[in-house]
Parts: sequence; structure tokens; C-alpha cells
Amino acid sequence: MEKKQTNYLQLIYRLAIGLIALWFMSIIWPYISDVVLMLVFAFLFTTVLLSSVDALERKIGHRGLSVLTVVTILIGGIGIFIGSFISQISQQAAEFSNRIDKDTLTQEFKAIGENLTNSMPEFLQNIISSNDDMAGKLSDLINTIISSLASMASAVGNFMFIAAMVFIFTIILLAEYHLFRKSLVNIIPNKYFELGLKLIYNIEKSVSSYLRGQFLSAASVAAMSIAGLLLLNLFGANLTLTFFIGIIAGLANLIPLVGPFVGMVPAILIAFMNNLGNDIALTHTLFGVIPSPFFILDIVLMFLIVQQIEGNLITPTLVGKSVGLHPMIVMIALLIGGTILGPLGMLFAVPAAGVLKVILSEIAFVRKNAHLL
Amino acid sequence: MKSAKWENIFKGWDHSESKTVVTLKQVPVFKDFSNKEFIELEKLIHLRQYNTGDFIFKNRAPGEGMYIIMQGSVKITIGTRNNNENILAELEEGDFFGELALFDDEPRSANAIATKDSQLLGFFTQDLMGLQERNPVLGQKILFNLGGVLGERLRGTNSLLINSQSTDKG
Repeated sequence: MEKKQTNYLQLIYRLAIGLIALWFMSIIWPYISDVVLMLVFAFLFTTVLLSSVDALERKIGHRGLSVLTVVTILIGGIGIFIGSFISQISQQAAEFSNRIDKDTLTQEFKAIGENLTNSMPEFLQNIISSNDDMAGKLSDLINTIISSLASMASAVGNFMFIAAMVFIFTIILLAEYHLFRKSLVNIIPNKYFELGLKLIYNIEKSVSSYLRGQFLSAASVAAMSIAGLLLLNLFGANLTLTFFIGIIAGLANLIPLVGPFVGMVPAILIAFMNNLGNDIALTHTLFGVIPSPFFILDIVLMFLIVQQIEGNLITPTLVGKSVGLHPMIVMIALLIGGTILGPLGMLFAVPAAGVLKVILSEIAFVRKNAHLL
Repeated sequence: MKSAKWENIFKGWDHSESKTVVTLKQVPVFKDFSNKEFIELEKLIHLRQYNTGDFIFKNRAPGEGMYIIMQGSVKITIGTRNNNENILAELEEGDFFGELALFDDEPRSANAIATKDSQLLGFFTQDLMGLQERNPVLGQKILFNLGGVLGERLRGTNSLLINSQSTDKG
């Protein structure tokens, strides 16, 4: 009886401590959330890059130099990708605007607008005409553009700062990884020592194989998408930026549910931009039967095939036993990631949830075998 | 002579060996290692403190690696402490135990209990695997030496067996 009472007291005590901890976290979270996120990203990058750094260290025999080489190659790669992407896309946009006869286009849009207005009920037409203060609208537009540019500049600045910090943390973690792990192991109490050690190594192994699996499936989608787009070009789809579209599709594929569709969007946009005014593309038919203007259905079909190959062939053979997450959890993770960090958060939400699941299942395993302690 | 400030600046200039390296040098598993290799090895070694009577590991618990006694003493036993305890070995400073766990996934075959307040150095399978990945030369050296140590122990067991058989016959 007394024991039961003590158990209740202990439970209440633990609950109170938990609630106080939660309350305290909710207060300090806004101040530490950025740093925590930076550390999480740095940890993810470290896990992905660790094996390359270890392999290079094996070749050149110097840890610091290997970390520096791998990180330099990574930053260089990202820089070259973003730089050439921006330059190519602006070139594409310039070509597009040159090709389109501006006056005709304006007139066409004006005609569409007029048709739309005419088809509206009369009272709506009156409202539109009475509000036709062009000068006011123009100044409003300019104000909006300036303010959105300013907010965009600050967002870019903030992003650059976060990215720089993440890279610095990653370099430190990579260079000191084994010492860092050793100090983590040192705080395990004697009673749980060997089991704790096993837990840390298992988590490390599962997390790194999970992340490597994600990376491999993204790379395979990117490669297959590029090949598919080039194949469509052989049939006259006239697609440009194929390399970048492929990489975007690969990265987007990391976001479940919505990702595969995100990958299609740039390809369809490019097909539309490049083939506008091209009658052959407009009247193109898929397999000679289904009308597919601007090759849109061809592109959708190609991406669907790529996803099926990736989902049913490549991921099961390359990645093996994947960390299966319930679709509900995936959606919740996506929503949380999207709220905290926007699209980038969505990209990392599911891997982070997967990592969390691995950690929890390892802890559950240890709890089940606690009688050996 | 040195103030705290100067001591901080000259930290790391002192090349005298740490107690860990001195202990590691006594262990045959790490024989013929250069000073550089000992420094590399020291990064992987875990220093653990145990009070008198503490279990280092229990029989049938999963085993992760070997321990080297830097200070104190340890007994290897089978059976529980109170009833049918059977002491297999009593180990002193510089001795090592649990090295079989570096090779197999089998659970521990005996208990290890500290008989004095002890400082042990732990060297574990995953660290050995990691070392093998990053520095195969050093990894192979350790594996080769471990093979030698196990061979020596097997020879010892064989001669004990032969002795006991000849005593039985006599």
C-alpha cells in the first residue's frame, strides 16, 4: 500500500518536473531555436559527410586537411550550382522576353481582360471602372515591390548567416567528431555503460545509413530525370536547363507526398516558355492519340515513371530496410518543418523525423533488455 | 615559475607522456607502437572510474570491448556475489581483460568486479572498426597483436589441459 503511494508521488513529482521543463523550454525556445536548428543541420551534414572525410583521412593521413578538402568541395559545388543556375535562368528569362513580342502579348492579355470584364454582371463592371485610379495603383505597386525587395534582401542575409554558421559547426563537428563522441560516451554512468555505448553506435549507424539512403535515392531521381528530359528532347520537346531541373526534382523527391509534384513544375514551366508560339508543340499528341500541348503530359508521364522506378526498384535494393514513417507522421513533420523554416524546413523535416524514429526505437530496444544491467 | 596565463599559452608544449600512454605501453596488444601511434590510440581510449564492488560488466550482458587496469584491481568471477562465487582470476595494474568481445558478438562469459577503487581504460569494437577504416596500418597492427595474445592464452590453456590430463593418469 505504502509502496503504491510512493509510486503515485513519484509519478506526480515526475509529471511536475516534466511540465516545468516544458514551460521553461517554451519561454527560452524563441531565443535558442535558431542555434538548435543550426546544430541539427550541422549534425545532419556531419553524418552525411563523415564517411567521405574518414575515407580521405585514410588516403592522406591528416584529419584537418581531409575535413577542409571535403567541405571546400561541397561549398564549391553548391556555389557553382547556384551561380550557374542563376545565370542560366536569367539568360533563359531574357531569351523568353526577347522572343515574345511584348506589344502583341500586352494586347492579348488586355483583350482577355476585357472579355472577362464584359462577361461580368453590370454592377461588378461599375465597381471596376469606378476604381480605375491608375496613378494610385502604380504607386501602390511600386511601394509593394520595394518593401518586398527589402524583406527578400533581409531574408537572404539571414539565410546566408545561418548557412555560414551551419558550415562552421559542421567543420568543427567533422574535425572533432571522434573526440566529441568520446566525451558523449564518458558521461554514461557505469551501470549503463556498455549498453549505452552500443546504443550510441547503433543510432550512429542507423542514422547514417538512413541519410545515405535518402541521398542515394535523390541522386538516382536526379540522374533518371535528366536522362528522361534529354530523351524527351529527342522527340522535339525543346527543354533547356535539364541538368538543373533534374537536380531540383531529386532534391524535391526528399519531401514525400508533395515533392514529386514539385519536381514536375519547373519542367512544365520551361516546356511552356520554350514552346510558346510553336504550333507543332501546341498540337503535339502523346503516343499519337492523347493531345499533350507543350509536351505537358509527356513530362508528367516521364516523372511518374521515374518515381515508380525509384520507389519500387532503386530504393528497395539500394537502401534496403527503410525507416518507414506513417503518412500521418510525415504530414505532421512536413507541417512543422514548413512552419519553422519554410521550404528548407520541409526538405529536412522528414529525415529529421526518421532520425528521431531510429533513436526512439533504439532506446525502446535498450529498455526491453534492461534486465541485463 | 610559470603563471596560470603562461601555463595556458604553453599548454601542449610539454611532451611528457600521459598516464594513459604509460599504461598502454605495458599492454602486449599495443607493442611496437610509435609515440605518434600511441597519441592516435589515446584518442580512442575511454577512461572509466569504478568504486570497490562495482560491476564492470555482468555475465551474459552484451560485450563491447576490452579493459586495461590503469589503477586498482579487478576480479573475474562466475556466479553471484553472495552464493556460489567462483573467482577465475584476480587482475592488477597493467593487466587487461574482455578482449574476446573485440572479435565476437557473444555475451560476456563472466562477471568483472572492481576489488579496489579503480581506473580502467576501455577500448571498444566500434572504435577498433573506425580505426581500421581511417588508419588501416594501425588497425592491422592491433589485430595482429591481439591474435598473438589470444594464441598465447590458447597455448597456456593447452598446457594446463595437458598437465591436468597427465596428473589424472599419474
